[in-house]
Amino acid sequence: MSEDIVAVDVGGTFTDICVLRRETGELRVAKVPSTPNPIEGVVAGVAAAGIDLSKVALFSHGTTVATNALITRNFPPAAMVTTKGFRDVIEIRRGTKEDLWDAYQDVAPPPIRRRHRFEVTERVDYSGTVLEPLDEEGAREVARLLGRRGIETVAVCFINSYANQDHELRMREILEEELDGVLVSTSSEVLPEIFEHERFSTTIANAVLQPLVGGYIRDLESELKAEGYDGDLVILHSGGGVMTPETADRWAVRLAGSGIAAGAIASRHIGQLCGFENTIGFDMGGTSTDISLVYEGEARTTNEWSVQYGYPIRFPSIEVMTIGAGGGSLAWIDEAGALRNGPQSAGADPGPACYGQGGTEPTNTDAHLVLGGLGKELIDGAMSLDPAKAEEALRTRLAEPLGLGVTEAAAAALSVANANMADAIRLISVRRGYDPREFALVCFGGAGPLHGAALARELSIPTVLVPPNPGTTSALGCLLVDIRHDFFTLLLGTTDQVDAGDVEAKFAELTEQAMERMRAEGVAPDAVELSRTIDMRYAGQWRSIAVPVDGEITSLDDVARTFEDEHEREHSYRHEGSPIEVYRLNLRATGATQKAELARHERENSMPEPVARRPVHFGGEDIDTPVYRRADIPAGATFNGPAVLEQLDSTVVVPSGSAVEIDEWLNIRMSIEEAE
Amino acid sequence: MTTGAEQAGGATAEQTLDPVTLEVLKNSFVTIVDQMAEQILRTCHSFVIYSRDFSSALCDPQGNTIMQGSQDIAVHVGTLHLTAQAVAEAFEGEMRPGDVYMINDPYVGGTHFNDVRIVRPIFHEGEVICLAESNGHWADMGGSVPGSFDVSARDHFGEGVRVPPVRIYDEGEYRADIVRMVTSNTRAPADAEGDCLAQVEATAVAEREILRLCDKYGHATVVAAFKEVQDYVERLTRKRVADLPDGTWETEDYIDFDPDEPEGLVPIKVKMTIDGEVVRYDLSGSHPAVGTFLNSGYGASFSGVVAGTKTFFPDVPLNSGFYRALDVDLGPKGSCVNAAWPTAVTGFCSGPYEKIMNAIFELWSEVMPERAMAASFNLEYLLVGGTDTRNEGESIFMWYDWMAGGWGGRNGKDGSNATSPVFGVGLAVQPLEGQERLCPVVTTNHEILPDTGGPGKHRGGCGVEKGGTLTEMTKSVMSYCCDRARSVTWGIEGGLPSYPHGVWLNRGTDSEQFLGAVFSNVPVKTGDSFIRPSAGGGGFGDPLERDPEIVRDDVADGYVSLERAAKDYGVVVREIDVELSQYEVDTQATEAERERIRSARHGWLAEDPESVAERYRADELDLLDVLRRHGVILDWGTGELLERTTEQFRAMLERRSSRHWAAAGA
Repeated sequence: MSEDIVAVDVGGTFTDICVLRRETGELRVAKVPSTPNPIEGVVAGVAAAGIDLSKVALFSHGTTVATNALITRNFPPAAMVTTKGFRDVIEIRRGTKEDLWDAYQDVAPPPIRRRHRFEVTERVDYSGTVLEPLDEEGAREVARLLGRRGIETVAVCFINSYANQDHELRMREILEEELDGVLVSTSSEVLPEIFEHERFSTTIANAVLQPLVGGYIRDLESELKAEGYDGDLVILHSGGGVMTPETADRWAVRLAGSGIAAGAIASRHIGQLCGFENTIGFDMGGTSTDISLVYEGEARTTNEWSVQYGYPIRFPSIEVMTIGAGGGSLAWIDEAGALRNGPQSAGADPGPACYGQGGTEPTNTDAHLVLGGLGKELIDGAMSLDPAKAEEALRTRLAEPLGLGVTEAAAAALSVANANMADAIRLISVRRGYDPREFALVCFGGAGPLHGAALARELSIPTVLVPPNPGTTSALGCLLVDIRHDFFTLLLGTTDQVDAGDVEAKFAELTEQAMERMRAEGVAPDAVELSRTIDMRYAGQWRSIAVPVDGEITSLDDVARTFEDEHEREHSYRHEGSPIEVYRLNLRATGATQKAELARHERENSMPEPVARRPVHFGGEDIDTPVYRRADIPAGATFNGPAVLEQLDSTVVVPSGSAVEIDEWLNIRMSIEEAE
Repeated sequence: MTTGAEQAGGATAEQTLDPVTLEVLKNSFVTIVDQMAEQILRTCHSFVIYSRDFSSALCDPQGNTIMQGSQDIAVHVGTLHLTAQAVAEAFEGEMRPGDVYMINDPYVGGTHFNDVRIVRPIFHEGEVICLAESNGHWADMGGSVPGSFDVSARDHFGEGVRVPPVRIYDEGEYRADIVRMVTSNTRAPADAEGDCLAQVEATAVAEREILRLCDKYGHATVVAAFKEVQDYVERLTRKRVADLPDGTWETEDYIDFDPDEPEGLVPIKVKMTIDGEVVRYDLSGSHPAVGTFLNSGYGASFSGVVAGTKTFFPDVPLNSGFYRALDVDLGPKGSCVNAAWPTAVTGFCSGPYEKIMNAIFELWSEVMPERAMAASFNLEYLLVGGTDTRNEGESIFMWYDWMAGGWGGRNGKDGSNATSPVFGVGLAVQPLEGQERLCPVVTTNHEILPDTGGPGKHRGGCGVEKGGTLTEMTKSVMSYCCDRARSVTWGIEGGLPSYPHGVWLNRGTDSEQFLGAVFSNVPVKTGDSFIRPSAGGGGFGDPLERDPEIVRDDVADGYVSLERAAKDYGVVVREIDVELSQYEVDTQATEAERERIRSARHGWLAEDPESVAERYRADELDLLDVLRRHGVILDWGTGELLERTTEQFRAMLERRSSRHWAAAGA
């Protein structure tokens, strides 16, 4: 009988596995090192978690395979075909550099070299009118050259194809006629949107990933089958939904960012379990921290992102801000005497000084050890930390130059680290018009629960949530997501020009596309949920805001009013009387996957004895603090800080003044006192 | 005029804040100016602003910059404190909470009229504690041509609306009358007002955040941090400078010509002295203001110095503390780098600004060879404006286009192909699909132009070519703000120049015309076509020392043609199978060719310029032969020799290129 749902999240360092037993809601987790061929890691993880694949109903998968391929550029032979005169659009890009001042830091070269970028004669204008017909003979000649070069996958990117896709589709036909088994991605199918570089870049990413993703998924499917699995496989995409292998095969680019989205979804889920519709996800690992935001139950998405600077992927993707701050980040003093934290990291080798692997520079982990937040052992005693080495590093590198004691220096290092992370959270919240006081902070990753309370205090966030398994929380994000796809079409005009009937007709077309895709995904029509938004802006502005629309549109006046409210919420002002422009219609289709609920635990009103006590530095003084094994604390337990909770993959610090409740799902809910 | 180090009290100022508080507040200030930037990007109207021609700053009540946006355009760096000072002085003792001011005056430290700055005083406990400033390039500021870039303007009256410090919010009350007096003088009043409001709101974002910090850390701490953050940057910069060897370095770069004088390059001189912990710059000796708008006021020139220097200290934060480690003498008023009212200055960006930056790159390349870089392509703006007749009604259109180009070759690395100008690395190329919707101009090509990278051991990055056809329009004109058709982007350490700028109208037809690199108000009509290149970067090092395999690779990708591989690099590349993009280097032929070039090239540079010009006119020599082999500068349209210009150009080549070449047989 099929009784388990399995999620496997392959990250750069570890492969995390979550298994949910459907009947009982019991959750098991495992963590194994990722392997060069990620599928080996998946199989090892399945074994480590003791999963009987013949009893699994749904296998959900988050993977960095696409993201990594885009970074390492390890692609099969790929080519581009474009309008004559435009083969360098992908190389010219928008011309900008990520680092404005460092003349020696370069943007990565285009994914397809110039020699493999071909041109054909054709041109349509902005209205879709053909200015020059497709030169079919030239197109066949290009196909012949591609064949000679052994090209496996082709991006077809014509100017203005968002307005008229005929030439691109004809080019596809010709390529398919001339070249056996070639994969073709056309820009008007991948991303029917204005702006050539963004559309071409997304299409090229799709083209170069298609053979890889397709091959990877087929290998994974057959490997799982060989292990006895015959249920469904779904793959997480960057927009925060899952899709089936068939769709992933064609829209490979949607897998870029797959791994990053998982953490954001997990924090949404944990927030919702605990009754919070607004959450900030704070996922802090060894070298970096991922921050995401969920507002009114929806993870914030963005169209403006890329895996590598300069090569945008214009699909709605969950917005995750990554900063170079982690447990291994170095605390250091610059030439002018300022105390800095990160972005350099001690990495895994040599690691923090207290690992005793030769590291001599102080890290956040060393500071935590000296201040008592971390104990002398990690991973249930599998790893021991050396306080003398941590102290030595802090003393020689920070305390003595600054004229501070070691404890003060450690506290100072963490203050700077916390302030940097708080600033990053401000960028994703306050800057977007969200008030952190209306959010709960969901802390995970190995280091997240060490910093969560201090950050929440800094930002006046009233509640901190720590899930039961902080180290494998991302995998949980893969576990409970729906099949989801995004569709959109351009519609330009001011609200007094655009006809509501046209809007409805366009939405009807999108709906048809969506239903067809969902049918292909195996979702029954009545299980499909559709939600519409319209991108709008004041006429003359460049960026737009997605305005949600419910039900049939009879007039655009209501939508315009909603737009003005949203504009005011996000940007703090409205421009009364200024014309409002419609830019794009978006439709999101969601189809539920097989669901199960996490087990609830019986509430017990008991509290175990601490396993130890140690002094922990809070707010300038050492306080004698009880240390608990988290696994010992039952649902329903309540207690006040100060306390430290140790668990296999993380350590939770509860400052004095915070009240903690363990809920039925074993989440920690910590209420945070307002800072002075 | 002198500005910078001598005005400052040095870096000995007392530090009162503990290192943690200071670091936290410093980072908060960065976050605040970046929040201002995000607000602008999300709400602006001007596509120029949206393409990142804007900047944001916090300034102290005296106007000194506390922090500037981390992604700000280079050209505004080192100018925001001057306009903040102008506002602070104009409203001294009269600022009230809720006030907001506007200024765009290039003669009191602004850049050009399009750069409109909005300044809000931030009050706490009854006093002004700082000023939030948002600067955005409005698409049009009036004047005689669309986009307000009139090359031929002799003075400010033809250029645009000059706004001295004015109050646009009076204790929270919006003074629409004042704002509309400004916007009514522009070609797109609604967009101008939209940008104004977007900028006002960006300063409100800063106010909200600064007040939050005051509540949290207290008035005295935040105010102390405003000062100490500047002291910190000053200390850091002075420390870095002190670690460098003392010395004096000099160079000059050129604007193409001054129409008021006979042909000849217009020198801009830069002398740099590292003196202990201060860097002194002296620009005196630069040419008097020219008869086009390619002049620069003191604010913009100071910015060029700051931005050029900052490129060699990429990780140092920007504020007035950085400026205090520099001592900048721009020389007497009235020169093209220290132009005074009412001299036209809108084209400073294509004129003196780029020259100052590149000259400073060259000087620092000697001090820090590990960060050396040859000259990069010069900023260029092409404008076509008139009446769009595509859709029944008639509307004003402004097709306002700038290109990416090549950056200079570097020590150990080629220059970047097709990159935004050094003037503003964040200045994004516009999507032509957006332009085609808005304007009756169809782009016919937008591609890398082979052979535009200046040859060198490490070649300059390639430039770009863009062409267009005008569709349905009336009453339209074309203007171009650029330079370096003659003062061609140069190489260093033996590297060669790249490619001259200039616009061609109806190239390849009977009505073909070379319009050059600065012109304005050229009438154009439906059916006309135009095309222009952006230059590549100059080369670094002797091109004959370039690895032949890399040249072969460049040929396979079409960055360098087969012909120029031989002529510029002496590398003889043979085709194996063009369809497979397979080529090979003929090693023996290459050695022979390189030896031949080595022994002939000094002679080529000494050949009689007039006979070179004749051979060009007779199609025996092409443009790159004339330029790179013979160092001769012509009017590229007529082939007429520019004698004085050639003399200066050859002297420049001797200094930057040929002097560094190893002798034949070496």
